[in-house]
Amino acid sequence: MLHAIEVSFAYRNGGPAVVDGVSLAINRGDLVGLLGPNGSGKTTILKLLGGMLRPRDGSIAFEGRRLADWPRREAARKIAYVPQETYAPFDFSVMEIVLMGRFPHLGPFALEGPADLAVAHEALEATGMSAFALRPFHTLSGGEKQRVVIASALAQQPELLLLDEPTASLDVGHQLEVQQLLSRLNAAGRVAMVLSTHDLNFAASLCRRLILVRGGRVLASGPTAEVLTPAAVRSLYDVEADVHMHERTGHLMVTPIARI
Amino acid sequence: MEQVRGRLFVTVAGFGGLLLLTLVTAPLLGTTSISLARAFDRAMPFADNPDAQIFFVARLPRIMAAALVGGSLALAGAIFQALLRNPLATPDTLGVSSGAALGAMLAIAFHFDFAVAGLSSVSLSSLAGAIGALAIVYMLATARRRGLSTTVLLLAGVTMTAFFSALTLFVQYMSDFADTFRAVRWLMGALDVGSYAPLLAALPLTAIAFAMVAGLPRPLDLISLGADAAAARGVNVQQAERLALVSASLLTGAAVSISGPVAFVGLVVPHIVRLVVGSDHRLVLPASALFGATFLIGCDLVARTMFAPIELPVGIVTAIIGGPFFLWLLVRRT
Amino acid sequence: MKRPVLLVLAACLTVAAADAVPRRVVSLIPATTEMIFAMGAGSRLIAVSSYDKYPPEAMKLPRVGALLDPDTERILSLHPDLVIVYGTQTELKRSLDRATIPYYSYEHRALPDIMATVRAVGARIGYAAQANSLASSMERGLAEVRGAVAGRPRPRTLLVFERDRATLQNIYASGGYGFLADLLDVAGGDNIFADVKQQSVQAGTEQILARRPDVIVELRYGESAKNVDPSRDLRAWDSLGSVPAVRTKRLVILVGDQYVVPGPRIVQAARELGRALHPEARWGP
Repeated sequence: MLHAIEVSFAYRNGGPAVVDGVSLAINRGDLVGLLGPNGSGKTTILKLLGGMLRPRDGSIAFEGRRLADWPRREAARKIAYVPQETYAPFDFSVMEIVLMGRFPHLGPFALEGPADLAVAHEALEATGMSAFALRPFHTLSGGEKQRVVIASALAQQPELLLLDEPTASLDVGHQLEVQQLLSRLNAAGRVAMVLSTHDLNFAASLCRRLILVRGGRVLASGPTAEVLTPAAVRSLYDVEADVHMHERTGHLMVTPIARI
Repeated sequence: MEQVRGRLFVTVAGFGGLLLLTLVTAPLLGTTSISLARAFDRAMPFADNPDAQIFFVARLPRIMAAALVGGSLALAGAIFQALLRNPLATPDTLGVSSGAALGAMLAIAFHFDFAVAGLSSVSLSSLAGAIGALAIVYMLATARRRGLSTTVLLLAGVTMTAFFSALTLFVQYMSDFADTFRAVRWLMGALDVGSYAPLLAALPLTAIAFAMVAGLPRPLDLISLGADAAAARGVNVQQAERLALVSASLLTGAAVSISGPVAFVGLVVPHIVRLVVGSDHRLVLPASALFGATFLIGCDLVARTMFAPIELPVGIVTAIIGGPFFLWLLVRRT
Repeated sequence: MKRPVLLVLAACLTVAAADAVPRRVVSLIPATTEMIFAMGAGSRLIAVSSYDKYPPEAMKLPRVGALLDPDTERILSLHPDLVIVYGTQTELKRSLDRATIPYYSYEHRALPDIMATVRAVGARIGYAAQANSLASSMERGLAEVRGAVAGRPRPRTLLVFERDRATLQNIYASGGYGFLADLLDVAGGDNIFADVKQQSVQAGTEQILARRPDVIVELRYGESAKNVDPSRDLRAWDSLGSVPAVRTKRLVILVGDQYVVPGPRIVQAARELGRALHPEARWGP
């Protein structure tokens, strides 16, 4: 569905490449984690995949067409993006935020109709936020805000969802909530997901496939069980760690031991 | 939740009706009592009809100027607040007002003598100053490859404001007492235009600005949550931000060239409007324009009748109303 | 033994008495500069303000700033023995006190105060007799103007001293107080804003239309005295056709600094204003 071939990117002309020769492929229904330390270029890769940045070298193709050739609105009907944090300077309600996801489906002067409202309600239900519809967005907790923004992304009815560090500022309880939500959405709606994270265990428990990123380069890519090894942890984080299967969850668990 | 369509209709009808009511009543009110029958008496030649002159020369242009200036400043304020993602932004934040003030100051201090089609050199200079300031801020903010950076925009604007204000003070200092007095008075805002010429001159600029604003409300909603998120939803962020910057600056420049800077309208009116209609910019922008016009007509009415025969500069009235209101808003938020 | 002491004492007293009359005067106020020249004491002046333009001799003297920006250093460096300052220039007064330089504090109020100031300044610089005669001649001149217009119907007058070119925006007119108002009174005019207890009024178009002046007088001075073209400049008033002054075309522009410098030329100003308001009166030579 989405292919990146030898993509490089720098924030300044002639500046250091933040993303360097990255190639990857995302297939329908995938649940992929971009895993790597802070500053490894994960967020930049995500933005490149979403078309918010244009690669300096290489190409990105979505459904066979160059991403840069897709009209903005059309692309937004297929690919949605959930930023790490959302701050609303104005008093938008939860429903208003979710309805903003309908923008790519409406013309320049069109207003939301009953169909759009229905989609928004569905999205709120899917994220378990229906009760919050009329609440002001800024009164919500971090986890609740995150779920609302995910609902807003779902309202775009995308085929691919890109999430930037979705659990970075959440406590373990809310982390689990979001984790379960994403897992459910991926399974039910067959929405492909790519999320960036530095949290090894989160990536291990949610993502079926991992792409390990460091210094703007892909170190390894493949099914989680194959890719997530102590050697991988060492090369990503300079950390000596134990990787084993946890019986109750059925997922891999990484226990850090010492910094190298 | 009711749909936006219905709310938009109610909003425009409500605020539009209020403006219409104000436009109709305001010319009837003033320090001099006039007879409407006489004012509209076609039999009497216009030049001999004091009631008609008071209505059509003194009051009507002034009220229309108030509507144009108030609506423009309020709309510009709402747009700047969305563009800078900050409810405290005003039309003055990005330096356009201080550019206009510098232009006016130069015209006053150096006694520019040109006048074009009934427009004084002060008006023309202040417009030139506003456009100059916009050009500088625009170039600074778009210097980066990836389009408008709001951080750079804000910094450029604040710096230009400080720089132009310093230059203005310098010019004031070098000029003689009478000119300084005139300059200070100009900065307080004055709507007594006495003719339709300044309005007609400002109309093309305002019309262009309105045309630019037409498609902006929804993109501004999305942009206020973050440029990346907006781009991911299909907004052409660069184009929207540029249109917002230029249109809001044109509105501000046109308004300030008619009446001088009028304080607080651009800051307070969008907030009042948000209290009534919420934060959706498809409602906030038209409502701000309509209510800004109404608000300034009202303030001007107070300015020209409260201490008759002395007329207060309208900027004093807007500040006296706007200041405490804004403090109340801030206290309420925290 | 006593005679040399007495001689020295007498010498000192003479010197002291001579020193009591200032010979190096700095004037920061154009009005007092004109007064000093008019009473014949121009040779006493060693520096004037940056706005001094009259008489021509004043233009040759060094300039030391004005109300907002007096050049204290320059003033002190000239070693004056009297500085005429504005009443509000407290900083400058303090500097002069520290340098033990005497000063005369000038207050500007209304028309009668001008003659009082002439006399006071004259006394201060030792030209009391000349000052008195100057003040008296000014009083006579003003009385002449009053006499010429006495008994004649006083036209309702709008006295404008500031306006944005080519428009009717930002019109500033004389209110009921101050020396412009007094001048208008002497010249036989009825100020339409006499009820406003201020020196200057921002005259709105509605107010002007409602108060219907018979004559509109515009003063042009300083920079605005250049490029005066009455037929062009007065056109802006045409839109107020119902005002008697516009209908009967009694619109006058008076040019010159004598209208804004409250000094000896005030008599000339009063005459010119009187002529504008009452052209048919007997004005003599």
